[in-house]
Amino acid sequence: MPPSSAITLDQRKIFILPTKEGILFSFLIVFMVIAGINYQNSLIFALAFLLASLFMVSILHTYRNLSGLTIMAGGTLPAFAGEDAEFTVVLSRFGVRTYEALLLGWNIDLLLGADLLEDEEVKVKLFVETRVRGLMNPGRMLIQTYYPVGLFRAWSWLDLDMKTIVYPRPVPAGAIPFSESTSSDGELIQREGVDDFYGLRDYQQGDPLKHVAWKSYARTDELLTKQFAAFADRRVWLEWDFFPGMDKEARLSRLCHWVLKLDTGNDEYGLRLPGVEIAPGRGPEHREEMLKTLALFEVEQGS
Amino acid sequence: MTGFQIPRNSLAWMLAAQTAVILPHISRMPYSTIALCFFCVLWRVMVYQGRWSYPGKWVKVLFVFFGIVGLGIGYGTFLGLDPWVGLLIMMFVLKLLEMHHKRDGYVVILLGYFVALTQFLYEQGIPYTLYMFVCVIMITAALIGLNQTRSHLRPVQTFKKASVLLLQSVPLMIVLFVLFPRISPLWTVPLQSSVARTGVTDTMTPGNIALLTQSDELAFRATFADEVPPLSKLYWRGLVLSRFDGESWTQELPALYGRLYRPDQPPPSWRDNMELLGEEVKYSILLEPTSQNWLFSLTMPEGTDKEGIGLVRDFRFYSFREIRSKLRYELTSHLNYRIDRDLHDFWRYRYTLLPVEGNPRSKRLAESIWDRSPNKQEYIRNVLRRFNREEFVYTLKPPVLGDNSIDEFLLDSKRGFCEHYAGSFVFLMRTVGIPARVVVGYQGGEYNRIGNYVEVRQFDAHAWTEVWQEGQGWVRVDPTSAVAPERIESGLEFAVEGEDTFLSNLPLSWMKYRQTLWLTEIRLQLSALSHYWDSWVVGYTPSVQMSLLARYFGDLDRKWLGMVMMSSFFSLLGVVAIFILGKRSHTLLRPIDREYLKFCQLLAKQGLPRSVGEGPLHYAARVVQTRPDLAPAMKQVTDTYVRLNYAEDQPEKTESLRKAIRVYRFRNLVTET
Repeated sequence: MPPSSAITLDQRKIFILPTKEGILFSFLIVFMVIAGINYQNSLIFALAFLLASLFMVSILHTYRNLSGLTIMAGGTLPAFAGEDAEFTVVLSRFGVRTYEALLLGWNIDLLLGADLLEDEEVKVKLFVETRVRGLMNPGRMLIQTYYPVGLFRAWSWLDLDMKTIVYPRPVPAGAIPFSESTSSDGELIQREGVDDFYGLRDYQQGDPLKHVAWKSYARTDELLTKQFAAFADRRVWLEWDFFPGMDKEARLSRLCHWVLKLDTGNDEYGLRLPGVEIAPGRGPEHREEMLKTLALFEVEQGS
Repeated sequence: MTGFQIPRNSLAWMLAAQTAVILPHISRMPYSTIALCFFCVLWRVMVYQGRWSYPGKWVKVLFVFFGIVGLGIGYGTFLGLDPWVGLLIMMFVLKLLEMHHKRDGYVVILLGYFVALTQFLYEQGIPYTLYMFVCVIMITAALIGLNQTRSHLRPVQTFKKASVLLLQSVPLMIVLFVLFPRISPLWTVPLQSSVARTGVTDTMTPGNIALLTQSDELAFRATFADEVPPLSKLYWRGLVLSRFDGESWTQELPALYGRLYRPDQPPPSWRDNMELLGEEVKYSILLEPTSQNWLFSLTMPEGTDKEGIGLVRDFRFYSFREIRSKLRYELTSHLNYRIDRDLHDFWRYRYTLLPVEGNPRSKRLAESIWDRSPNKQEYIRNVLRRFNREEFVYTLKPPVLGDNSIDEFLLDSKRGFCEHYAGSFVFLMRTVGIPARVVVGYQGGEYNRIGNYVEVRQFDAHAWTEVWQEGQGWVRVDPTSAVAPERIESGLEFAVEGEDTFLSNLPLSWMKYRQTLWLTEIRLQLSALSHYWDSWVVGYTPSVQMSLLARYFGDLDRKWLGMVMMSSFFSLLGVVAIFILGKRSHTLLRPIDREYLKFCQLLAKQGLPRSVGEGPLHYAARVVQTRPDLAPAMKQVTDTYVRLNYAEDQPEKTESLRKAIRVYRFRNLVTET
């Protein structure tokens, strides 16, 4: 089946087979029929046939518990290699049919249960273990159910076309060496408009209106002026060449560690990889861009 | 996975089902087993509540040991059915204390179905069947609970689901029940040992038939092919008792009778002694289990073609196996007959044999009557007249008699039940050399017009006599009719009406209220229902199946029957499938389409329906033309829908469309008011 972001299950996609318990149950029925024959007891026959019919009817109910269900790809959250990446899957039902005890996931030993009873839509957060950095597609997801009686297992493998980014596994690499290129540049650039907020003081005549803390004024009736301090920050360059002799993954892991470290500080940081350069910057989006670059840098196909 | 916790839903139903399934067995179980069951359930509840932990290995071994010893002591044997059922129940309960995996839950549930089955070895009536059906629903609910997510905590819903599943299975079950080729047993199986022998016995001592009449249990039901003969003619012959030891009457030694007349063998020579005269009466009898070997028939029956049954020399039927389950047999009888017209001297001797000692006064009485009577016929008449004229009383409470019971009855107490009259009558006959014998069985019954059958209960048990006369053979003489003709005409209840002894030990018996019309009506209805159940469900044996199916399909062999069964089963399964899977009307709509269509319906209510095939943008333009006030809402909803329609299918965005529609609804409300 080709990958797709929303799949409605129907008979082409659902497989169904008896479970071990189902086979045991059918042996029980055979045993009961033999008891009925030997005791010439009609009601034992009746019970055996009732259970045999239940066995057959349960096929339909188990099938029904998947059929018509729509599974959609929801959002994903990136992860560092070795951690679990989060994939959100949305199950939805239309009409009166409800779904119960659905099990889903990518790892058959670690399936997550979900019910779709009163809700028409339910989001299930699934975690998939990551191993290597790069763009990760967890592959086909398993959705299965034993409901209602556990005698049959209905299942389907779905290719939901979900991807997430796996960042390199961070590896501590000691103190950050300030790259020579940074210090030799020597100039500190006074930038405008990107100053950091510092504090508030009483409004004084002549303060620019756009620096007045209007929100605070609305709350307290006091005119205050926002103060901005302009720091002559250090700008850090993270260099591919910091780690001579190391292989690619080892370098990326250490660079990743520093990105995380620098992100908690106040420094602006940039990245230089062979053929890639990201100008120094700060903030979540910058961090994201850095990590993404590290994750996707010369990724081997198929990872 | 040692930390497995059975879902609460499942455990609750498991315990409930277990209790319900075991309950009917309790009267047959030893106290130690009951105590063990109770203790195991208690322990399991404690484990669930986290107060106790699962028992260790040695504790479990101890339990098993204690349980088996308890069963052994309680039943005294491990042979027969009851100890095995006890063992099964014990395993079923002990398994509760060993639920470490989901698999163990399945084992408990499968054992539960099996314990439910064993109940049918003991009881097969409608009430028990309904009860067991509820038990099976409960077991199934436990099975469903085992497969629900742990967050599902609504046991009633689970029970409902189980009921739905089983009710959908019932039609399929009926197809299998009717069409599954029934075959005869593959091997012999242990039978229940606790069934009491019921009905008339092969020994008649004064008092034991009177005791039998204290019971209102069903003996058998007889369905007649044509008109039902009058109740007074219904003498259901069961046993012939011809040996008297001074106290009780017993059967003739079987060895003296010679061969039986049975369908698979050529008729024995004594078969020629039967002359069947007059009209034939065809009927079938559905006999309740008696754990005895004798069968009941109207005098005088032709032979039978049912296997396993034979006609004995004294013209009554004998089953080669003890009757442990309901037995149906079909017979033809002739109410007029002449049997043993010529009686061999040996038999004349046997049938006039009396103990040398004992009952001297009765012997003198017989001789004095004999002296007054010109011939044998007159003698018989004089004896009966004596019963009729002297103050003999027909009573269910005769006094206890001593060693010379016949003397005491005939000359002192003069109070007795049918066995007193029959026994002493034969005694008086034999004293003067007239061959005579006692016959026991049932007399009369109750005609059920709803089901068109005669129902015979234990209180219809009766004893009468047969006297051999030259040229006529054995002639039935019922001395009771000389004392209490109403016993024969209307039944025991009327015969003992004055003394208030009818079923005096059963104050609530239905049978005591025969005069209350509406109660009788209900009773007859219930009885008819139970008769249909017994004949068509419980009594659905291989032969009944063959005759029923032959009626509709003509002759068919097993292979063909199997094919008919499979094809009907799967066609019906198809119907059930349509029923279960049918409702899937708008299952293929995407959430945004569904929301948009709901919105269109809202507008249609305002008189602005969307035409077939009209695109959202055209529709919006048309709506705005007639209702300019809706323009902003229309624009927002339509834009959102169109945008989402071509955007990536992100479910979160459905919410934005819903929001837009909500805004429309709000505005619309404002414009309406």
